[in-house]
Parts: sequence; structure tokens; C-alpha cells
Amino acid sequence: MLILSGAALAYSGFAAKGLTMDRHYADIHGRGKECDARTRLRLRTLGWLGLLLSFIACIGASGWHIGPVLWCGILSLAAWTVTLLLQYHPRKVMHSIWIGIPAALLATTLLLQ
Amino acid sequence: MKEGLRQSMAWVHTWSGLLVCWLLLLVFMGGTASYYKHEITFWMKPELHKAADAPSRVTPAESATLAVRELQQQAPKANAWFLDLPHERNPLIYASWTNPPKKGMSREERRAAFRTQNFTLDPMTGLRTTAPRDTRGGEFLYRLHFDLYYMSAIWGRWIVGIAAMCMLVAIISGVITHKRIFKDFFTFRPKKGQRSWLDAHNATAVLALPFHLMITYTGLVTLMFMYMPSPTKVLYGEKQNVMFSEVFPNAERVKPARQAAPLADIAPMLQQAERAWGQAPSRVVITNPNDANARVEMHRPAGQQLSNIEPTMIFDGASGALLSQATPPSTALAARAAIYGLHVAHFADTLLRALFFVCGLAGTAMVATGALLWGVKERQKYAKVIAKGGKVGFGVRLVDALNIGAIAGLPIAFAVYFWANRLLPVELAARSNAEANAFFIAWGAAAVLAQIRPTRAMWRFQLTLGAVLLAGIPLLNTLTTNTHLGVTLFGGPGLRPVAAFDIVVLLLGALLGWAAWWLGRKAKKQAAKQPAEVAQATKLEAA
Repeated sequence: MLILSGAALAYSGFAAKGLTMDRHYADIHGRGKECDARTRLRLRTLGWLGLLLSFIACIGASGWHIGPVLWCGILSLAAWTVTLLLQYHPRKVMHSIWIGIPAALLATTLLLQ
Repeated sequence: MKEGLRQSMAWVHTWSGLLVCWLLLLVFMGGTASYYKHEITFWMKPELHKAADAPSRVTPAESATLAVRELQQQAPKANAWFLDLPHERNPLIYASWTNPPKKGMSREERRAAFRTQNFTLDPMTGLRTTAPRDTRGGEFLYRLHFDLYYMSAIWGRWIVGIAAMCMLVAIISGVITHKRIFKDFFTFRPKKGQRSWLDAHNATAVLALPFHLMITYTGLVTLMFMYMPSPTKVLYGEKQNVMFSEVFPNAERVKPARQAAPLADIAPMLQQAERAWGQAPSRVVITNPNDANARVEMHRPAGQQLSNIEPTMIFDGASGALLSQATPPSTALAARAAIYGLHVAHFADTLLRALFFVCGLAGTAMVATGALLWGVKERQKYAKVIAKGGKVGFGVRLVDALNIGAIAGLPIAFAVYFWANRLLPVELAARSNAEANAFFIAWGAAAVLAQIRPTRAMWRFQLTLGAVLLAGIPLLNTLTTNTHLGVTLFGGPGLRPVAAFDIVVLLLGALLGWAAWWLGRKAKKQAAKQPAEVAQATKLEAA
């Protein structure tokens, strides 16, 4: 469960970062449009937070020896998913970004137990 | 330096990558398969499947007792016994032994003898399983990925080492030369020719960069004593063996006392180790059995740490008393063991192993797209010549042909290796060598055909052949064994590796089939476009 929420967090984190990039933002909101600076900062901070939480979840799941290795693998998988989705279904990335929130809650409860 | 850093790094990246990419494809594919080398070996020995079907109900201590009883009958005078007990990835009991070397026996003869000195027990019945067919299984693919074949291992390791060094250079120069590494982080633009290939190359490379860097660097470290012999030569001179026994104290052997003493019961020793670790040992090595100086070495199963050297407990074989828990290794040795461990990933559970496998496939894709990209780029220089009906230069033709032979040809070779395993007669002499030969005959044929006609039709032909062969494996398994998907999917957990193997090759076959279909569609589109262009041109001329 912890690994799964770690994966969801990594996906959300990357998705948040990808959505603020000019090219992908324009793909969703129309050509030439740019993300305003405040939203961009907010999404990017959330994105980094998601990646950080996913790291903590991996450490919680597999310990300091194997957790980081697991995290690297999950990051790659999440990044490929975001890449393909941004190309073929860019709107789905925007609509699925919220899964990071329940994943963060779940990971926190599991870790605090 | 006249040009900027980026341009010169682009040059380094192109050539360090291109020169070794076909060998790297072999190394990557072989290495990726090796993450499942036990499962592959098990799949390739269908005689063992029946015994693995029923879930094991005996305890590790009972398994070890069974194996020792059988070894006492088979090889009471051996100088060492090796037991592999059932655990997660291994449903059966494997036992093997080494005999004291007879005088005048060559190394090859000793190795050949060792290959016959083993048996497999069914943990349910305690009886021997049917003798499995002679195959090297996944071990062949594992060895192939750093020893190559048809040459001495030393030569193979040097060649692979140089290729790995080039790979490391290519990775680092590639990162430097990639202008928009963050801006293009999630970018993939299909159907845009060279741009799409570059995007695919970047996505497979950058997004799994930690894996690629790790696997290349750790791969070099695994053979560091060979690639960098100078420091140990300065310290130990000709006495390299002394160095190895000092650095790796586990290899230390106690000499037999030449005094007979019965071997103590193994079960209590095993239980003692199990209590200390919270899990039963997966491997037991007994040296000098039935001698006063017998030693029993228990190895903890992998899975808790990165290191490839697992903690051991050593018992006195005659009295059954615990002699030592292995001392914690020095920092340097621990670091090397962790680096080595990362490469071979013995610690990985099912999920992590699958992630390693996928990253390995991504590495293969990275090398393949890089190799293709060179051809796509070079071809543009000939755009005008081709338009006039001329031919591309020798270099482009050669690279195209090598690309077909490696990217489309290697999957054929892997598939043929598995087909040979099922189709070659079981009683064939030197059967495991024949399987390896089948691999290279198939690969050689694909490579030669590609050199003769490096065309798009050849791409499609070889990709389709690879797809049919790989996807046909589950069907072949149905026709030649009793453990096909219909059985293994509903069977015991011991048969899961067999089912997984069938499904994975089916998926890989589907992937190749998709690539062949995609190429065919592209060819059709171009064919449709060309007459239209010609018609337009004639219209223009008429006007």
C-alpha cells in the first residue's frame, strides 16, 4: 500500500511539474497561452513536495538500503507515464493530478502508525 | 577547442555510442534477461515442473536433512557439498558436490565432472525428481552478457569492459550535450521523423538515467580486479591469490583432518541460524563432510540489504557447535559488495525485480533508438541523391544492416534459443552446447541476411519473424510439455515462474509484431504519397 501511494505521489509530482511547462500548458489551454507565475510556483512546489513524500513512502516501505533503489525505479515509471499521457491525453493529466492528495494522506497515516 | 563544449561532446557521444552499440544491445538484452535467470533456467527444465507444482509443506530443516541423507549415499567422500533450499524463487532442493581432484585432471575435465555431480529433490516426497535435460538455461544468457561466447572469458570480459567504458562516456557526454534536458523532460512528439527518434532516445535515457548510470558503473566495478590490476599488483605482486583470500575471507578453507567423524545433525544448526536471522538460510555449504574438520556454512537469503555478500554463520560439522558469525566486512569491502549487489539485484523482491527488468528494457530501447538515430541523421545528407534514385553511402548502408541484425536479429536469436530447448532431442550429446549454437546460428543468419539486403522489407521480415517466434513460445510449450499456460495459471505458486515466462515472451512478441505492423503502415502511406507526388509533378510540367 505504501509503495502504491508512493507511486501515485511520484506520478502526481511529475504531472504537476509537467503541467506548468510552456509546451504542455499550451497543449491543454490553447496555443500561445502561458501559465501565470503564481500558479506555476504553487504547482511546482506541490510537485517537489509530491516527489519528496514519495521518497519518504519508499523508505518507509523498504528501508534505507532498498528504499532509494525502489524510489528510482518508481520515478522512472511515473515519468514515462506522464510523458505518454501528456502527448496522447494531455487533459487526463490535469484531471488525474488530484490522486496525489489521498495518496499523501494514506502514506502519512501508514507512516505514523 | 574551436567548437563549444556541447558540439564536441555531441561528437564524443555519437562515436562512443555508435562504435559499440550493437555489442551493447547484446549485453543489455542478456543482462536484462539475467534478472530472471533462475526462472528462465526453471522454465527450460520442464522435467522439474511437476515436482514444483505442489506447495512445499516441509520445513527448511527437514529439507536440509533430506538432502544430507541423499548426499551421504551419493557422495560421502566429496570435499564439499552445496545445498540450495526451497525459498521464494526456488521451489525445489538442489544439491551438488565437488570431489577431491584426481591427479592429472585438467580444469575443463573437473568442470565437466562437476556438471554431472548434482541432483534435485522434490521437497514433498524427499525423492529425486526426473533428471532434467542438459541445458545451461538462464546461466548461458547471464554468462553471455559479460563473457561472450566462442572465446576465452578473459577476452570476452575485456571486450565487454571496453564497450561498457564507451557506454559510460556516452551517458555522461550525452547529458552534457542535451541542451533542453529539463525543458524537454516529458516531451515525446510522434510522427515527426528524426525529432521523434530523438525524443524517444531522450525519454528512454533521461527518465531512467539513475538506472543507466548505476548499471554501467557497477558493471565495471564487478570486474574491477581485472580492469585495474595495477594497485593489487603493486601490493601483492604475483601472489594474487593471497590478495583474494585476504580481501574475501569467506573463501578461506579449512584443511581436512583426515580423521573420520560423523557429521552432526544439520537440523539444529539450521534452526539456530533461523532463530538468529528471523528467516531460514537459503544456502548451506558443508566442507569436509564426515571429517573431524567438517564445517557447515549457513547463508542468509538475500532481500534485506543491497550487498551481494550475505551474512553467514559457521558451525563445526562434527560437534554442531556455532564457531563464528562472520565478522562485519571492512568499509571498503562493504562498499564494493553494495555496488556489486546493486548490479546483480539479488535483493530485489517481485516488484523491484520487475522494475529492474523494465529499466533494462528501457536501456535496450535507448541503445536501439540511438543507433537508429545515427542512420536517420546521416540519411538526410543523401536526401537529394536518394530523390534522384541514387544510393546511400557505404557507412549508412553498413549501419542500417548492423541495426537490423542487432535490433531485429537478436530477439530472433533469443527466441530460437528457447525453441531449441524444447525441440532438440533430450538425449542429444552435448545438448547444452547445441542450444547455444542454435542461438548463434540464428543470430548469424539474421545478421548476414541484413548485410545482403538492408531494406525496410528486411526490417519487417525480421521483426515479424521475431514476433512469431517469441509469441509462439507459449504455444510451443503447450505442444511439448504438460505445463502450459492453461495449467500454470491455475497451478501452485511453484509454477508461477513458468506462467510468467510464457506471458512475458508473449508480450515481447506482441511488441515486435506492433513494430512490424507500424513499419508496414508507414511503407503503405509512403507508397500512396509517392504516386500522388509524381502525378502532381507531371501536372506541373504539363502546365
